[in-house]
Amino acid sequence: MRKLIWLLISSLVVFSCDPKPAQFRPPDIYVPVYGTLSEIKQYQVEPPKSTVQAGKIYAYQNFIFQNDLYTGIHIIDNKDQNPVKIAFLHIPLNTDIAIKGNYLFANNYTDLVVFDITDPAHPQFIKRVSNVFPSVDQDYPPFTNVYFQCPDNSKGVVVRWEKNDSIPLPNCRR
Amino acid sequence: MIKTILYFLLIPFIFFACEKNSTSTPSSKGNETTGQGGSLATFAIVGNYLYTVDDTQLKVFDISNLANPQLRNTENIGFTIETVFPFKDKLFIGSPTQIFIYSIEDPAHPQKLSSAISPTVMRRCDPVVAKDSVAYATLRTNGPCGGTQSMLAVYNITDITHPVQVYTYPVSEPYGLGYSGDVLYVCDKQNGLLLFDISEPYKPTPINVYLHDGLYQDVIPYQNTLICWTSTGVILYDITDNRNPVLIKSII
Repeated sequence: MRKLIWLLISSLVVFSCDPKPAQFRPPDIYVPVYGTLSEIKQYQVEPPKSTVQAGKIYAYQNFIFQNDLYTGIHIIDNKDQNPVKIAFLHIPLNTDIAIKGNYLFANNYTDLVVFDITDPAHPQFIKRVSNVFPSVDQDYPPFTNVYFQCPDNSKGVVVRWEKNDSIPLPNCRR
Repeated sequence: MIKTILYFLLIPFIFFACEKNSTSTPSSKGNETTGQGGSLATFAIVGNYLYTVDDTQLKVFDISNLANPQLRNTENIGFTIETVFPFKDKLFIGSPTQIFIYSIEDPAHPQKLSSAISPTVMRRCDPVVAKDSVAYATLRTNGPCGGTQSMLAVYNITDITHPVQVYTYPVSEPYGLGYSGDVLYVCDKQNGLLLFDISEPYKPTPINVYLHDGLYQDVIPYQNTLICWTSTGVILYDITDNRNPVLIKSII
């Protein structure tokens, strides 16, 4: 009987020493990315550049548009199926666009912005409709069961939350 | 647990507005054509209106004067609204828990219809394209979407508010999809672009697989070009022969 108990105990010890229990998963960690309101609302037309985080796509006439997540829109001329990047329209925090009649509509943080793309290599700013989209939550990321760096308001406005699992476990959690 | 950024895995249920160009034509003044989005859009233009969805709301912008959009209406819909897709005179609005169907017969005042597609039939995270009375959806099991088998599912949508699943085909990690004529293109992440023959609409049969580089996310068949969103950028194929795409270029 005693042997049996020892066997049971030792088997428990063996199992508890398993270095990688099947259920273990590191927690997701998010960090706030800060900006100032004036930075956030600055748009500009830039020369073509490499894609960093490929985002949503949109087709309009001979042109293809691709969002680069949170930074703007690559404009690609696909005339005669010879696609060439012709410009990058930098719009902070942009994620999506739609186009009608040479007018491009895009989100820019909490605003809707309109550009005339009659010359797609040189979009012209036309109009800003302010405060029509919700801002990023300043207090915590839009997820539960995650850790996150506690926001510091002195650093500016939280413009987005970025996943970063390589930092030490922060104090804030939800 | 949510593994990647909100963008990719929270994608709920997506329609591809196959009649977008034709529906926009009546209100167009000559050159005012409307472009075409992928199947993950939060912006959709129908006629003189731009519809956008954000976390909780559907916004209606009057763009009859394109240079001066006016916010006409805001509808509180629910929580974690992620996509909007126009199909005929309806808007399908995807959230993780439910698909809301709004009528835009009166385009400035979307009306919520009493019935929504049951999430047990066509669940969240399911990109969909619709063609006449058939809809194709990709159901996948990774991420927060649940389910037990990733697949391409085929629905009879003769009654659009009550889709009936009529066929399924196993696919490993399907995302966006689109069709050109009788060929359906399905993005299958690292497995590439899958081609299906849909000349028998309710029974797609696999034809071929294309894989150049990156993870295939979404697709827009646009005129004779197939625009693929991959993790590296955009890959274009010539689909003049829709079942034999020819690589044009990868744009990174």
